[in-house]
Formats: sequence, structure tokens, C-alpha cells
Amino acid sequence: MFFRLAAKSLLNRKGSVVLTILAMSVSIFVLLGVEHIRTQTKESFNSTVSGVDLIVGARTGSLNLLLYSVFRIGSPTNNIDWETYQAIADNSRVAWAIPVSLGDSHKGYRVMGTSTDYFKHFSYGNKRQLDFTEGKPFSDLFDVVLGSEVARKLGYSLGDKIVLAHGLGKTSFSLHDDRPFKITGILATTGTPVDQTVHISLQGIEAIHIDWQQGVKMPGSTITTDQLESLALQPKTITAFMLGLNSRMATFRVQRNINNYRKEPLSAILPGVALSELWQMMGLMENTLRLISGLILMAALLGLSAMMLASIREREHEIHLLRVIGASPVFLFLIIEMEALLISLLSILLAVSGLYLSLGLSSDFLAANFSLHMGRSLLSGNKLFFVLLIIGATIIAAALPSFFAYKNARLSR
Amino acid sequence: MTIQLKDVCYSYPDTPGKRVLNINSWAVAAGEQVFVHGPSGGGKSTLLNLLSGMLQADTGEVSVLGQRLDKISSRQRDRFRADHIGYIFQQFNLIPYLDAMDNIALAHQFAKENLSSSLKDDIKSLLSSFHIAPSDWQKPVANLSIGQQQRIAIARAMINKPELLIADEPTSSLDQDNRDHFMSELMAMVAEHNTTLLFVSHDMSLAKYFNRIDALAEINTAGAGH
Repeated sequence: MFFRLAAKSLLNRKGSVVLTILAMSVSIFVLLGVEHIRTQTKESFNSTVSGVDLIVGARTGSLNLLLYSVFRIGSPTNNIDWETYQAIADNSRVAWAIPVSLGDSHKGYRVMGTSTDYFKHFSYGNKRQLDFTEGKPFSDLFDVVLGSEVARKLGYSLGDKIVLAHGLGKTSFSLHDDRPFKITGILATTGTPVDQTVHISLQGIEAIHIDWQQGVKMPGSTITTDQLESLALQPKTITAFMLGLNSRMATFRVQRNINNYRKEPLSAILPGVALSELWQMMGLMENTLRLISGLILMAALLGLSAMMLASIREREHEIHLLRVIGASPVFLFLIIEMEALLISLLSILLAVSGLYLSLGLSSDFLAANFSLHMGRSLLSGNKLFFVLLIIGATIIAAALPSFFAYKNARLSR
Repeated sequence: MTIQLKDVCYSYPDTPGKRVLNINSWAVAAGEQVFVHGPSGGGKSTLLNLLSGMLQADTGEVSVLGQRLDKISSRQRDRFRADHIGYIFQQFNLIPYLDAMDNIALAHQFAKENLSSSLKDDIKSLLSSFHIAPSDWQKPVANLSIGQQQRIAIARAMINKPELLIADEPTSSLDQDNRDHFMSELMAMVAEHNTTLLFVSHDMSLAKYFNRIDALAEINTAGAGH
């Protein structure tokens, strides 16, 4: 009867209650949305690369190197000589090396030139290796392996031929249309930028640029595909490379040696340290976002409190009647709290449903444009804590009107 | 005795110098139906609030059904009221957004024995005895006529089978027909359950229904009233 009374009382004040629920829902949506995006971004970034001890690129800031080499965000400052790569990869402390060559694209998805070691050694998440849903790694010059999202979004399957574009624009007029690539493999979904990457061999990268100068295709090329395959297509430069070391203990020594490499200015970074720097930098923004969403929630809770307080004044007869039939002042305090909690729970339900819907609708956009793969588990970890916090804050916000009801009940005559 | 007052004085806390009630001695026997009349502001509502335990006397003894209300806590008085006293007002007797069934069940909620398995049947039987059509049982009471609302108010007051029923000008918002109807149903109900009835009104035409008539001015010697 207690719950029924609270629910029917709210139904009796539909107009103001619905508006309050909407205001609360929007604020909870913002609070949980910000928190979800924040944690998912962190999780997504943290799981993108694992098992890589060092990332090496031309001399630049550690964040820039991390972002362009792993997350395909931004552009490299310079390239590295192939000889430099080979010298470092041949170091006795290095277990494996994965070269990365960037600069081309296919319908907005970045093309990465690499070696087959990439499929053997690159891992993500909790040291999970790349799996193929179909096909196998590239073996021929014009073989291509697609990330899962590229294949799904563009509707490609094994055996299809694709043309790469020079540069990174989504719409490009500089196409390598004379050298199409055949899809030989499609990777399983990883939830990382790998899903949006088109992988070809370093030799493939060299082959499509053989008649190009200053980013422009030279007219009158006479080299056939068969001739290309017989050429030794050794890359002159690459964008970056990832290293796995034989011993973790050697990481700092190898890093120092690379940073002091005499023949070429290089930067070697530890992915975990660079990510920590990134989160440190983002900390202020994260806190600001949290503060703003907290203030929005507080405004909505004050609105709830004001609405409940106004209702107490309208319900003096009801309070008196309840007192006469035996309701204690504490009962009246609790009934107002229950009404506030019902509003809060409905708002949470609405906000979480809205968030699920929004994430469902925007997940492709976030993945394609920001490489963010949003999980759907909204009520886990600290988000559950936030929900409990909202419920606690509702109880506090409703305490004032509840106290007024209690006081009215005591003075009721 | 159902009601026994002795040397009872009461002033509202915001006007401590102005005594509203001053009753030397007044009693009502079990099963009596007492009509108390008096002008507005004569202290009628204050007297009823003291008898129901909503207010506590400044001095004196307030005894209802053998229980000294001036000796027990506010929480105990709330429980005592729910268990033993039925109350009908002039208006605002019911929660407007609840239906008749819920309004009556709510009154039962606060009584000691609120686990009655036959509560729904009891409510239906009460509503039927007050000629409330079953089609009106589930409607919010705000959608019913004033006459129906007052009859439901009696049913609500009687659900816990109170030994004392207090009626505070319950007919003043009713027309002649509804008033007669209301009074005959009320008197039949209290007679059937042998309930002590304390009926307060300034409408002397209702005095014919009662076997005892008291003027508040004779009970309450305080010069000024509320």
C-alpha cells in the first residue's frame, strides 16, 4: 500500500512529475554517458596494443608517435631509413620487429604496409593475437588483408579486388588504379584500430609507388605486374616499427640506445608510459567533464526538491487525513522519500535506455571516426557506483521536502 | 466510559495566553450517541483533536476507552487512533486520486491487525452496505459525487471496527436528501456495531437523531475559542 500510495500520488501530478523525470533523465544520461565514454575510451586505447615493448619512429613527441603508429591518428613527422630499421631489428636483444608504413588509404580507411610478422607478433587486449575469420596473411605482392570493419562496411569478401588511393583523404583523385589488390584475408574483430585498417606488404607499398614522384603518378609507365613481381622491391623508408624484446629488463637500455642512435634522430617509446602521459594530459578534461555533469545532476535534483516541496503545500489536507487515520510523521517523511526515489529510478531507467539506444545508433560512427569501440555494459564498475550515488543524492535532495511533510504532520490539526 | 475528560486545558502554542479549551469534567458512556453543538470557533475541532490524540492537552486527564492519551507518546497515540477511533470530516475525507477500495484499505494499513485475509471482501461488503455501485469502486473518488464520497468516508471510518466514531460536521456539504440518507446510514451502522458516536455540528436539525445533546458552551468554560 505504501508503494501504491506513492505511485498513485505521482500519477496524480503527471505534468510536473514527467517534466522532473525528463530533467533528471537528461542529467543522468549526460553523467553516465560521459563516464561511459571516458572509461570505454581508456579501455579501448589500453587494449589496442599489448606485448609491444617499444615503438620506434622519427624524432617526435611520444604521444604523437603513439597516436599515428598505433591509433592511426595524426601524421608522422618523418620517415625512418630501412637500413636503420634493419640495424635495430638485427640487435641481439630484439626478439621481433614489425615495420609500419603509412600514407595511403582505401575509401577513408588507412592502408598499413607491414610484414607477415605483424600477424605473428602483434597482439591486443590481454595479449590476444590477431585471428583470421577468412583467408590467410598476404603472400603475393598485390595481396591485401582487411580489418573486420573494412570488410563489413564495404561489403568485401575473399577474392574481391580493391584499388588503393594515394594519401589519406576519404575521396581521392590520386588512385593506384593500375595496380589493384586481391583480398586474401579478413581479420576477426578486435575492437581496435586494426578493424579499420587495410594491410598490405611493404613490397606492395613500394610497387604501387614505383612510377610516382612527389605524390603524382608519372605518365607513360610501362612496367607490368609480372615485371614488378620479379623486381626486388626493398622499401627505402618506413613510418615506424614496433619491437618485442627478448627480455623486459633490456627495455630501457634498448630505448636509450635508439634515442641516442647516431645515424638518424629517432624516438623510442614505451606504449604503456605514453598512454599514461596521455591520460595525465586528459585528466583535467576528464575532471572538468565530470564536474559539469555533476552540476547538471545537482540542478536536476534541486528541481526535484522544489517540485516535491511545492507538492507538500498542495497536499496539506492529504497529510492531515493520513495523520487522522493513524499515519505517523515518519510515514509521511518516508512516503515523500519514496516518491522522490520512484522519480529517480524512472529517470535512471529512461537515461540508461536512452544511452543504450544512442550507443547502438552511434557505435559505427564512433568506431569509424574516432576508433572508439563502445561496449554496451552500462551498469558495470564505476557506473553502478554512479547509479548508487544518484540514488543517494536523491534521498538527500528529497530530505528537505520530506522533513516539511514530517513537520506538517506533527503540527497537523 | 468511552470518553472521560477531567480539568482539561488547552491553548495553541502560537497563542499561549489564549485558552481554547477549559473543561472541568465531561464523559461519554460506551455505546452513547452524543450530539455536540456550538458556534464556529467554539473549540469543537480542538476538542475532537484532543480526543483523537492529534493534540495533547496542556493540563488535565484525557481518557479514551480507558487509555490515558495524555500519558502516552505521540507514536502510541497514532497507533491508538488507527486501532480504536474512526473519524469523518466535513470534507477532504478521502485521498482524491485513490479509488474507494484503496482509500478504505489505506485506513486499515495503520491499524494493529492489518493482515486481514478477507480485507477486500470486508471493503466490498461495506461499500455495498452504503449503496456504492461496484462500477464506482475502482474509480478515483474525486470522480464520484459528494454524497458518495461521504458514504465512502463512513465505510473508511468503520473498516477497523472502531469503538469510538468522531464526526466533525460531516453533513454540512450535503444537500437535504443526501444529508438524511447519510444520517440514517450512519446511525444504522453505529447501532449495528454498538459504536460510541460523537457527532459535532452547528446544525440543530440533526439533533433528532441523537439520544444525548450537549452544548459545547456548557462543556467548555473557556471564554474565547478557536
